[in-house]
Amino acid sequence: MFSLELAGASKRYGRRHALTSVDLAVPQGMSVGLLGANGAGKTTALRLLLGFARPTKGAARLRGLDPFDPASRRGVGYLPERLRLPPAMTVQRFLHVHAALAGLSGADAMREIEAVTEITGVRDRLQEAVDGLSKGLAQRVGFAQALLGRPDVLLLDEPTSGLDPLGVRDARAWIESARARGATVLVSSHVLSEVERCCDHVVILREGRIAASGALETLVQPGETLEDVFVRAVAGGAAPGPPDHQDGGQPTPGTVDLEAGR
Amino acid sequence: MNAMHALRIFAAESFRDGLRRRLGFAVAIVLAIGLAGAQSCTQLGSGGMEVNGEVIDGRVVGGFLAPILFAIQAWAVLAIAGLLAADHLARPLAEGNAVLWLARPVSRGVWASARLLGALGVALVCGTVLLGGTGAMLVLRQDVAIGPALEAAAATALGALVVASLAMAASLAMGRMAVLLLVLLGLAVIALANGVGLVNEMAHPDVAVGGLFGAIDRYGPPLFTAIAGAVVKWNPHIDPGDAFPQAMLRLAVWAVGGVALLITAFRRREIES
Repeated sequence: MFSLELAGASKRYGRRHALTSVDLAVPQGMSVGLLGANGAGKTTALRLLLGFARPTKGAARLRGLDPFDPASRRGVGYLPERLRLPPAMTVQRFLHVHAALAGLSGADAMREIEAVTEITGVRDRLQEAVDGLSKGLAQRVGFAQALLGRPDVLLLDEPTSGLDPLGVRDARAWIESARARGATVLVSSHVLSEVERCCDHVVILREGRIAASGALETLVQPGETLEDVFVRAVAGGAAPGPPDHQDGGQPTPGTVDLEAGR
Repeated sequence: MNAMHALRIFAAESFRDGLRRRLGFAVAIVLAIGLAGAQSCTQLGSGGMEVNGEVIDGRVVGGFLAPILFAIQAWAVLAIAGLLAADHLARPLAEGNAVLWLARPVSRGVWASARLLGALGVALVCGTVLLGGTGAMLVLRQDVAIGPALEAAAATALGALVVASLAMAASLAMGRMAVLLLVLLGLAVIALANGVGLVNEMAHPDVAVGGLFGAIDRYGPPLFTAIAGAVVKWNPHIDPGDAFPQAMLRLAVWAVGGVALLITAFRRREIES
């Protein structure tokens, strides 16, 4: 069973194809960076995985289940790209409700809230209203809710958005910590350096198709950077991928089994 | 976490959210005006009064006055339910904070139901103040029975569920202003259709009202028929027959249909993130 899976998933909005026949299978414990230019389909892929939208064709599975099944989202932490915290709630109340939804109650919930707010540096903000926080602090609170209950699967859409350099460094540490305890991490980001440091695999989307994918050390050749690989893939040049996904040296857009590339 | 636990958590948050709305100020004004109106209209005490030399029993006067007053107050409660529901679900979706809740192991049906319960809860608090206050004044000052007031309050609560669920379902497909107009226009048209139906029933029980109003009265949600079916019992000259139970049954069917429509529409809705 894969933690995250897209099987021939396509998504169309009207006449625009956001994703086209994407196959993606991420086993438990893997950290994957989802890269692509604006409109490449990164957020759409996350929306399909979380059950926010249904694929036009194909299927999405989260923890082996249909994402529309609430049970599939048990043990899943999510940080959206455009984080909007609910108005007029204190940080404590906001996290308390999320802790309850994550299955924590009583002393366990309090302990967990204290732990995540300590890690994310918002412990002294618990009594503040979430809508009065700066963007960076709100992002930290968003991270705190995503990390509540030690999720097995962490889906992060532009996780360092709004964070200052120290916050970015902290965010990397939070992601690293989740990886270290065996969580599956999917990071959708424009920041290549961030993905390079947080993830061991990358998937590069171009116009809704997988243009390149595989383990970082396989994709990035000696003397290259991830940026070189990204530019080549997004610009439409030869798209690299794991050898077993190449057909006569040609890429197979839209298909990747990351387990094979481990 | 089971669905009921999640529903309780979300419904409580939704209720708090409803109380915080700017609309709350308008609601407070409606309540104040409503209660002031009830205070003024019930000044006439029990006992007889003389009109053109003819002595009229105060209960007859109360029997005409009380249903009209109570129906107007009930209309205000239904309007509050609809106006609150018009963006109580759509707003967190548009603002983007809904995704945080919906990424948790919670079904969409539970979340939509909780939002509905929150809006309904605020409307019912208003209803308790407005109808409770009006009912108390009528019972104490006009010497009318309390039973019809309780029945009409139950009809208003069920009607509020119908109005709120339909308004919320409409808000998934329409803009806020359009839903607000739809709620107010819809309530006005239904009130008129039900009123015409009731008058016709009393004047010409063997002739059905035709046209659009007739169709709305026969097949639409009998919001005011149910309320009127209860409070006309205050008038000793009117025999409502089984109008109240029949209207309540039809209203219950509309309530089930409204909630089912809302949940189905929300399940099909794609969530922006």
